[in-house]
Amino acid sequence: MKRVKLSRILIFAFLVLIACIMLVPFVWLVIASLRPNMELLSNPFGIPETLNLNNYFEVWRRQPMLRYLLNTFLAALIAVVIDVVISVMTGYAMLHRFRMRGKLSTMFYVGLFIPANAFMVPYYVMITKIGLYNTIWGVGLIYGVMNLPFSIMIIRGFMETLPMQIIESGKIDGATANQILIRLVLPMTKPGIVTVCIFIVINCWNELFFANLLTLSESSRTITVAIQSYLTSFEANYGFAFAAMIISILPTLIVYIFLTNKIIGGMTAGAVKG
Amino acid sequence: MKKRMLVFYLFPAVFCAVVFFIIPLIYIGYVSFFDWNGLNAMTPVGTANYRQVLSDSNFRLALKNTLIWILAAVLIHIPLGLLLALLLNRKIMGWKVFRILYFLPNVISITALAFLWYFIYHRDLGLLNWLLELIGLDGLTNSWLTNTDTALGATIVPFSLYVGLTSVIFMTQLSTISEDLKEAALLDGAKGWQMDLYVYIPLVKPALMTNIMLNVAFCLKNFEYPFVMTSGGPVNSTTTLALYVYKKMMNANQYGISMVGSVFAVLLGLCLMVIVRTLQKGGQDE
Repeated sequence: MKRVKLSRILIFAFLVLIACIMLVPFVWLVIASLRPNMELLSNPFGIPETLNLNNYFEVWRRQPMLRYLLNTFLAALIAVVIDVVISVMTGYAMLHRFRMRGKLSTMFYVGLFIPANAFMVPYYVMITKIGLYNTIWGVGLIYGVMNLPFSIMIIRGFMETLPMQIIESGKIDGATANQILIRLVLPMTKPGIVTVCIFIVINCWNELFFANLLTLSESSRTITVAIQSYLTSFEANYGFAFAAMIISILPTLIVYIFLTNKIIGGMTAGAVKG
Repeated sequence: MKKRMLVFYLFPAVFCAVVFFIIPLIYIGYVSFFDWNGLNAMTPVGTANYRQVLSDSNFRLALKNTLIWILAAVLIHIPLGLLLALLLNRKIMGWKVFRILYFLPNVISITALAFLWYFIYHRDLGLLNWLLELIGLDGLTNSWLTNTDTALGATIVPFSLYVGLTSVIFMTQLSTISEDLKEAALLDGAKGWQMDLYVYIPLVKPALMTNIMLNVAFCLKNFEYPFVMTSGGPVNSTTTLALYVYKKMMNANQYGISMVGSVFAVLLGLCLMVIVRTLQKGGQDE
C-alpha cells in the first residue's frame, strides 16, 4: 500500500475545514426552513422535532414567487442578448486595424472600473423618461449596460486568440465581412460567449441595487428585491423567510449541479487572459 | 474591412458608451453643482455640495470603509483564493469535489448570502454565538451586527470567505503551466512549497491581475452586503460609498449631494484603474 504523507493529510484536513466553514451555514439554513417557526424560536439548535415543507407551501401561496423568478430570468435574458450581440460585433471590428482603435480600447477598459452605482440618478432619470420605470425591460437594459465592458473584454480577448489565417482565408474565398463573422469567427468564439453568458446570468441573479431602484410593484420585482423585503416583512416568521431564501437559491443551484464542469470551465475560459 | 462595415459593427458599442457612460458622467458632474430634491427645479449652489460632502464625517467614513473592503479583497480574499488553488493543485484526494464545493456559494446571490449571515450573527438565534457558547467562550458572544466595533468586520467576513471564483481563476492558470517546466523544477530538487513559491506563484500573475481587477471593481460597487445585513448601521459604521450615494438619493432626496458622492466614486475607480494598470505593465494587454 502506498504510504500517504502526513503533509497531505494535514492539507486534506484543512480543505475539509474550509469547506465546512463555507457550507455548514447552508445545511443549517435548509434544516431551519423545514421547521415550524415556533419550534425554531424556542429551540433554534436542538434536534428538530418536526420537519416538513409547510413553510414552502405557505410562502408559495402568499407571495408570487414564480413571478419574481420569471422576472429575474427575463432581466438576465435581456442583458445576455444585449451584451452578446454588442460584444461579438465590437470584438470582431476590433480585430481590424483602424484609426480610433486605441482610444476605443481604453474607453472600454475604463468602463470596467467605473462603478455603475455611481450612475444611479442618470440611469433612473433615463429609464423613467423612456417609460421603462417599473418594468423588467428597464432592469434588463441596465443590467446589459452594466455588464457590457466586462463582456466586451472577455469576447474580444477570446477572439484575439483565434488564428488570423481564418479571416484571411475567408477573404480569399470572397466572403463578405458578415459571412466571415457568422460562418467562421462566431462558431469559434462559442466558449467565450458561454463564459460571458454564465457571468451575466450570475451577476443578474445577484443584483439588488438597480433592481431596487428601478422597480416598484410586484409585477416587475426581481427575486433579490423580494428576498430583501422579507427581511422586514417576515420579521416575525423566520421559517417563511428561510423557505423563501431556499426557493430563490434553487434555480441557480440546480443549474450548477447539472452543469458543474461547464460552469467552472466556462467561467474561466476567457478570464485568465486578462 | 470596408469603412462602412466597421462603422456598422462599432455603432452599438459606441452608442452605449455615449448614452450610458459619457452622458451620465457629464450629468453627474453637472448635477453635483446643484441643490435638487428630484422634483422641484434645480438651484445652482456652486461648490457648496462638495464642501458639505468633504466636511461630512459620514462620507469620510464611507470612503474609509470602501478602502477597507478593497484592502480585505487584496490582503485576505485573494491570498486565501490563491492558497486554496495551490493546495488543490497538489491533486489532494477529492480535489475536484472540493473545487465544486468551494465554488458553490458563487452561484448563490449575495442578497441570499448576506441574509444568511445576518442570521449567523443574530444575537439569540445565531449560529456564531451558539458555537461560541458550545466551546465555552460565552464571554465572546456579541450582537455582532449592532455593535460598532464588530459590524464592519462582520459584513466583510462572508466576502473574504467565499473565494470560489477567485480560486478557480487561479487554478485555470495553474493548469496551463507546461509539464516540462514542472519536471525541470522537480529535477532541480524543488519540493512541495518550493514549487509553489518559485514556480507556480510567479507564473499566475495574469490570473492575479484578473482577480485584483474583478475584486476591486466588486468592492467599489459593493452595496448588497451592508445594505442587507445592517443598512449601513449602526451609526453608519458599515456604510460603503455605494450605500452613501444610495441613501443620499433615496432616503434624504439630496440628489446634488448624492452626485458628489458619485463623482468621488468615479474618481476612486479611475485611481484604482491607474494602479492596476501600472501593476499590469509587462502583461500582454496593449
